Amino acid sequence: MRQLGLNTTPCVAVASLVHQWEPRFKLVGLLGLIVAVANVTDRRLIPVILAIAVAMYALARLPLSFWCDRLRYPGFFLMGMVVALPFLTGKTVVWQWGWLSLRTEGLWAALLITSRFITIFTLGLVLLGTTPFLSLVKAMQQLGLPTLLTDMLLLTYRYLQDLAEHLSKLQRSAQLRGVGKQGTIARLQLLAALSGSLLVQSYDRSEDIYRAMRLRGYGHLRRSAAAPISVDVGSAIGLGLSLLTAGGLIAAEWLLNHVQGNA
Amino acid sequence: MHINDGILPAPVCIAGYGLTGLATWFSLRQINRTKDPTRGIPRASMLTSAFFVASLIHIPVPPASVHLVLNGLLGCILGYYAFPAILVGLFLQAVMFGHGGFSTLGVNAAMMGIPALVAYYLFRWGDRILPTVRWVRPGLAFVAAAIGVGLAVLIFFGLTVTNLPAEIDAGAERTAIATLVVAHLPAILLEGLFAGMLVAFLDRVKPELLEHNG
Repeated sequence: MRQLGLNTTPCVAVASLVHQWEPRFKLVGLLGLIVAVANVTDRRLIPVILAIAVAMYALARLPLSFWCDRLRYPGFFLMGMVVALPFLTGKTVVWQWGWLSLRTEGLWAALLITSRFITIFTLGLVLLGTTPFLSLVKAMQQLGLPTLLTDMLLLTYRYLQDLAEHLSKLQRSAQLRGVGKQGTIARLQLLAALSGSLLVQSYDRSEDIYRAMRLRGYGHLRRSAAAPISVDVGSAIGLGLSLLTAGGLIAAEWLLNHVQGNA
Repeated sequence: MHINDGILPAPVCIAGYGLTGLATWFSLRQINRTKDPTRGIPRASMLTSAFFVASLIHIPVPPASVHLVLNGLLGCILGYYAFPAILVGLFLQAVMFGHGGFSTLGVNAAMMGIPALVAYYLFRWGDRILPTVRWVRPGLAFVAAAIGVGLAVLIFFGLTVTNLPAEIDAGAERTAIATLVVAHLPAILLEGLFAGMLVAFLDRVKPELLEHNG
């Protein structure tokens, strides 16, 4: 599993208000904030969204090392775009060296994208870092996600580790036999055969899993009705505050654009 | 090949969720029309796990290496389960690696899932009308997988370049999209070759995996 770079889900066990927030309320509240942040285009709101990210992360009491660790992978992909943007877009040149010119509009665009990314990434991390994976899936199901999707999600998650380990073993044994060192096409052929073996074994195993599930009543038992939403005052206040902040951000964005448009 | 959080404006993210909702509804409706819809769930889930794991493998293309997207191949093998499988896979990638993101999950799912459905229709149509010759299925898989990933690449760069929050003229936009898509042609070809080889293997070893019940 680790050899292929898979991680377990990132919930961090510390006591905080956000950890106690009811998962359904938390999911709706944080998604509301994420949409509002994605809506920001006015650069005057950049400090506001970054402040929201800092406040939420502090409230969740998650360690800074966790944030840095998780940022590495998506941050790497964003970096390529953000670094190129000031040189490729915009008209107002602020610095020039030969054919290379740095433009103001591109710089602002890079700053806006980075700020939106950091804020949404942090809010997503607050959600994942404070909610166990199974609670998150249960919350999504209770909010109306189709059963087929949640069943597929749980089964896929359950067998990822097994299959990753199995593929590692297949790759290792192929390497030990010196197979696939000839070039790209030969290696591609080897990987296709390894993936094919993995698919065939997964298929056979899925038939066994299906039979076991049927024996336990899968497909015949009636699903228990969604639990009634408990009126947890703290969670309701949290949801209200997040949606209020999200609404405030959307209103501020509209007002700033409107005022700028009239000016 | 994911669009990260922060790049796209909210209306595009919301439209992405709308499209994903529609495609999920369509796929689930087709799945529920089958005799026993629950039967396909363990199969689709196990194969989704297998595809997820296979997509993490690096393939050396000197001087770099690439990951396979496998959306077209998923369409060929999973049929209508391909869209839910891609949605589940992307959600897990966001949870496990922070790859993609929650605001762009809908856009990413539509970008990879709809071409997967196109690949499925192409593969199924070809499989029905063409004669049962040894090379037909691998050839169809090559075309379907290349079209699946090619469409996804086109949508990816189209969305990214046209939604930059800075001025870039229309001509430069078109040139940038065309250049980036052409630069990905080797990866598209590789994806098609991999799909062809894998389908040839499955056709020899387990042809029922290529039958479409979904």
